[in-house]
Amino acid sequence: MERRYEILRNQHISQNYFKITLPVTHSPLPIPGQFYQVRCSVGTDPLLRRPFSVHRLLQKGSSHLMEILYRVAGKGTEWLSKREKGGSLDILGPFGNGFLIQEGMDPIVLVSRGIGIAPLYAVGEEALKGKKGRKIIILMGTRLRERIFYEEECKKIGEVYLYTDDGSRGFHGRAPDLLCHLLERKRLPERFSLFACGPAQMLKELADLSERFGFEGQVAMEDRMGCGFGACLSCACPLKPEKITTNFQWKKPALQWSEEGDQVYSLICKDGPVYDVKEVDWNEWIA
Amino acid sequence: MSGLPDLSLKLGRLVLKNPVMPASGTFGYGQEYEQFVDLNQLGAVITKTITPKPHLGSFPHRLTEVPSGSLATIGLQNVGIDRFIEDKLPYFEGLQVPLIISIGAETVEDYVDVTKKVDLQKRINGIELNVSCPNVKKGGIHFGVDLEVIRELVTCLRQTTDKTLIIKLSPMVADIRPFAEICQQCGADGITLINAPVGMAIDIETRRSRLGRNITGGLTGPAIRPLAVRWVWWVARTVDIPILGVGGITGAEDALEFIIAGASAVEIGTYNFVDPEALLKTMEGIRTYMARHHVRTLKELIKSLEVS
Repeated sequence: MERRYEILRNQHISQNYFKITLPVTHSPLPIPGQFYQVRCSVGTDPLLRRPFSVHRLLQKGSSHLMEILYRVAGKGTEWLSKREKGGSLDILGPFGNGFLIQEGMDPIVLVSRGIGIAPLYAVGEEALKGKKGRKIIILMGTRLRERIFYEEECKKIGEVYLYTDDGSRGFHGRAPDLLCHLLERKRLPERFSLFACGPAQMLKELADLSERFGFEGQVAMEDRMGCGFGACLSCACPLKPEKITTNFQWKKPALQWSEEGDQVYSLICKDGPVYDVKEVDWNEWIA
Repeated sequence: MSGLPDLSLKLGRLVLKNPVMPASGTFGYGQEYEQFVDLNQLGAVITKTITPKPHLGSFPHRLTEVPSGSLATIGLQNVGIDRFIEDKLPYFEGLQVPLIISIGAETVEDYVDVTKKVDLQKRINGIELNVSCPNVKKGGIHFGVDLEVIRELVTCLRQTTDKTLIIKLSPMVADIRPFAEICQQCGADGITLINAPVGMAIDIETRRSRLGRNITGGLTGPAIRPLAVRWVWWVARTVDIPILGVGGITGAEDALEFIIAGASAVEIGTYNFVDPEALLKTMEGIRTYMARHHVRTLKELIKSLEVS
């Protein structure tokens, strides 16, 4: 099975953020929220592939290009950041369930922290492709102003609200605080669709807000993965049995029930990485 | 030399056309790899461990990476033997590849019960016994570290089935050889060496285990290969039944180390995640090596280590 992808560009964005551009020469085309498993060494250290979400899918004539936005966080991504144009990468995928972007979802609110913007940007662009004039609102931020990145790019697709934990830029607080602030002051419409990607604690708090304010939402989860295709069972994500969400796109083939049938684990690589915000058992996930 | 080298081997009543197969726990229930590999080309498929009842498995955050290895605790997550037979086994009806089921349980009686169910299934050709499971009647100590428990377990299972019976032994003992000898005495058809040694990795910033609440996990991947090769070499001089070598194999060169040390067959584990075609490449590589060294049969290579 051919799985080499030629590197068209590997660009340093800012700080430790990079963007790599690849031609999508293998089918199927990825959808926002899906991920690829990229080999990030030629030897055995690091050993396992690294999962990266699709950041952008671009059409160029009859062919497609894909961008992966990534943060250098360890040996694997360090190796990746040094690959040059003309080289190639060993990639498997796309894997997993993507975000469900439906006609009636308007406005769309994207909530991210740091590199979490990577798959959400794809949601924004896809949503605009599907319905011109759809309103995209982006809540993005990080610890302090020096760590903010991708602000200008985000302004191209939507209205941006910045936050920093220390208040050095934008709203003083974290993403859920900002969302709560906007909701309490009725600065967001009553009905909207939330899409989120970021740390577990942020997602959990967004889930709490979704219950309190009654908005719908989808989250992209991440965990260490062994394989990415459902064989190793490493990326178990606990779900609330009564809230499991399946539909034409989310089949959830890898659910594992306890003997008593009162607990259920999904696999992020097969049943996720995108979930309904209400179905994840956040307390079990964060414990 | 004429014709292709002969890679076949006998494992109990089972004849495998080649000695390369996946390690239990890294190949799901088998079907997960159909998108990458023609399963019929493998020596056998070995499933993940199946237990009497469904198992939820370990807490989330089950895997972390260590130098040239993976540290993981899956905690025997599986659908249980009944659902395995109902939902997963039918897939193999359309395939010819020998099917070996890894089984695990918490009591000798439960191991026997699972084995009885497996014995009734024609499509299942063999059993690999996972003895790295906690024995609830002995305070949770693993079956694999108690010689008398192993004797009782293998004796009971041998009486329960004529299917190929392989025992996968744990390296978490001072010496594996007495365990291997007992397995042979009690009628095992083969021994798999080695199951994953237990390890730990700590995030020094949070002072928590990298495996969260699970704390420890099994170390697999190239990091354990020299340990595994040495155990194969030691045990191969102690028993005559075939040894299936496993631990950090990434290709034919690694596999040949195990074979020369004394393994009759090899299992590839963690590296399937990195390269899902590794099994087929390894098989081809062994064939090429044999042709290059004018070796006609696998037998000529097994335990051919020069120690003078």
